[in-house]
Amino acid sequence: MKGKINETTQNNPFLPELARIISTHYLTKDVKFFQVRFSDMEKALSFRYEPGQFAMVSVLGAGEAPFCLSSSPSRPGLLEFCIQKKGTLTNALFRLRENDLVGVRGPYGNGFPMGDMEGKDVLIVMGGLGVAPLRSVLLYCLDNRDLFNRVILLHGARTPSDMIFRDEFMALKERVDLECFLTVDEDDTGTWKENIGVVTTLFPKLKKIDPSQAYGLVCGPPVMYKFVIKEFIQLNIPKNQILMTLERRMKCGVGKCGHCAIDYIYTCLDGPVFTYWDVIHMRELI
Amino acid sequence: MEKILQKKSFPKWVEKLDAYEIYSPVKKDNTWSYEIINTPGDIELDYPNAVQAPKKIINPQREVVLEFGRSDDDSLEVTEVLPEEKSVVIFGVRPCDAKALTLTDLVFSGDIKDNYYGKRRKQTAIIGLACNTPPSPNCFCTSVDGSPHSEDGFDILLTDLGDRYFVKSLTNKGNNLINLGKGLFVAPKANEKKEIAKIHADAEKKLKRQVNDAEKIPPKLKEMFESPFWDEESMSCLRCGICTYLCPTCHCFDISDEVTSVAPFKGYRIRTWDNCQFPDFTMHSSGHNPRPDKASRLRQRIMHKYQYFVECYDHYQCTGCGRCVSKCPVGIDIIEVLNKVRDYG
Repeated sequence: MKGKINETTQNNPFLPELARIISTHYLTKDVKFFQVRFSDMEKALSFRYEPGQFAMVSVLGAGEAPFCLSSSPSRPGLLEFCIQKKGTLTNALFRLRENDLVGVRGPYGNGFPMGDMEGKDVLIVMGGLGVAPLRSVLLYCLDNRDLFNRVILLHGARTPSDMIFRDEFMALKERVDLECFLTVDEDDTGTWKENIGVVTTLFPKLKKIDPSQAYGLVCGPPVMYKFVIKEFIQLNIPKNQILMTLERRMKCGVGKCGHCAIDYIYTCLDGPVFTYWDVIHMRELI
Repeated sequence: MEKILQKKSFPKWVEKLDAYEIYSPVKKDNTWSYEIINTPGDIELDYPNAVQAPKKIINPQREVVLEFGRSDDDSLEVTEVLPEEKSVVIFGVRPCDAKALTLTDLVFSGDIKDNYYGKRRKQTAIIGLACNTPPSPNCFCTSVDGSPHSEDGFDILLTDLGDRYFVKSLTNKGNNLINLGKGLFVAPKANEKKEIAKIHADAEKKLKRQVNDAEKIPPKLKEMFESPFWDEESMSCLRCGICTYLCPTCHCFDISDEVTSVAPFKGYRIRTWDNCQFPDFTMHSSGHNPRPDKASRLRQRIMHKYQYFVECYDHYQCTGCGRCVSKCPVGIDIIEVLNKVRDYG
């Protein structure tokens, strides 16, 4: 499919670029993987982002919404999203096929402080769709494996069939430089060989962590944060080294439309990555 | 630049501004609103405040951001749509509404600029009218660092002196407009300057409503996040959102797409005013709502105006126009709420 953007001004923050769907497939029954590339080759190669940043994705005619980038900037050229079917826009996205065009603008938000995490242990805890932003961090760490100390992944899903990127993470279990633990709340297949239980039941399996040298990252459904943060605190990870990426309804992504305002900050500019310290001081964050 | 303009010369000045699109308060169906006028005689400056602030001219309720559609060869075409290039003058703007524009300027400028708001703002001159008597019984501008003759946000401020206007130009844009009416304006006499000072001082005394010691409110609010106060105050709220729609400083907007229902495929991405008093404003697609009830939404409105904005920009995000008080269908009175906050606990 062909397409073009007619632009008269530079830097209009609301104007998307066209991007082509390179591949798309179901990850679970209601979550789909989208791999896109900007139609404009120059843009495709010059687009830079940090793990944890997000982009506004639109289907022209159906609307626009924020989605975090699931790909890693260490693999430039293609952008990946993992999207759950929920409303008007995502329904329209799910109807698209390879070669169809979407609008993409961004990247927005602060992203994870990857530089600060260098030389440290990175403990990634994700649940459900929380995979979407944290996969970017995980791939970034693995692609730059020498920059980080231990890399640990704890991933929980409701059932094996709900586990997003299940095959990808299963394959990662083979790696000796990644401590990978997977769990499901219940096994509906009868073939699950990994842990059964909520994600916090994986913590006792961890080898001793030096908390001052560790970062704890968490993303998942709102209910998950309280329990996982409790585990991080029990491990004595400092509050400013507990990082989470949060969700907010957003419309503009550039700090103007007011939807994601919390206290005196905007999630789209000052987030979506926050420390536990921020969360304590900024009510209404989760 | 300070000048005197006879009221009988006023239409002649307006005639000279024929290169501009001119807005003025106009009486329509027994209320006042800012409309484009065709002849100078339509300008009516003896008026209480308009129901809607002139923010609707700079930041319209609905505006197309881009156009899209399929062309003949079936390729997708997206075209940026920007505000029309033109010079605009708005007459009769009240000091509260002009000051409000200086506050929305803070939000829409910054590192990332909103080209839509910015362009309209730049091509629009604001000519104000000082309030010799409060245009609304709920005016409380003096409580929130404003005044009935505040000059913030104006290119020109007029003060009514009976048969003539005292004209004060505050910007180059204002000077240029006055220069277009060369010969109509004369320099003010010393006694006229005195008269102005007296009128302005008297005007401040005529305000009936106020929030005393408003500076105590921002720190107080900081301690009141968890207070049951918000449940009590929001009990009667209907979630109609009129308070924020009519507020001259509220600026939140939504972005959505509209498409034609018949082929060929064509549509618009539009931005429209949105409202923090609606549950949908913060509702996630998962159904989770971090601001789930009326109490948390009223709290957000008050906190944003009198605490968060103060923390960010050192200004209240309120100019005391009183519209939200006058128009709330259930009588939630922000002046009373603020007085209660100050004395709370």
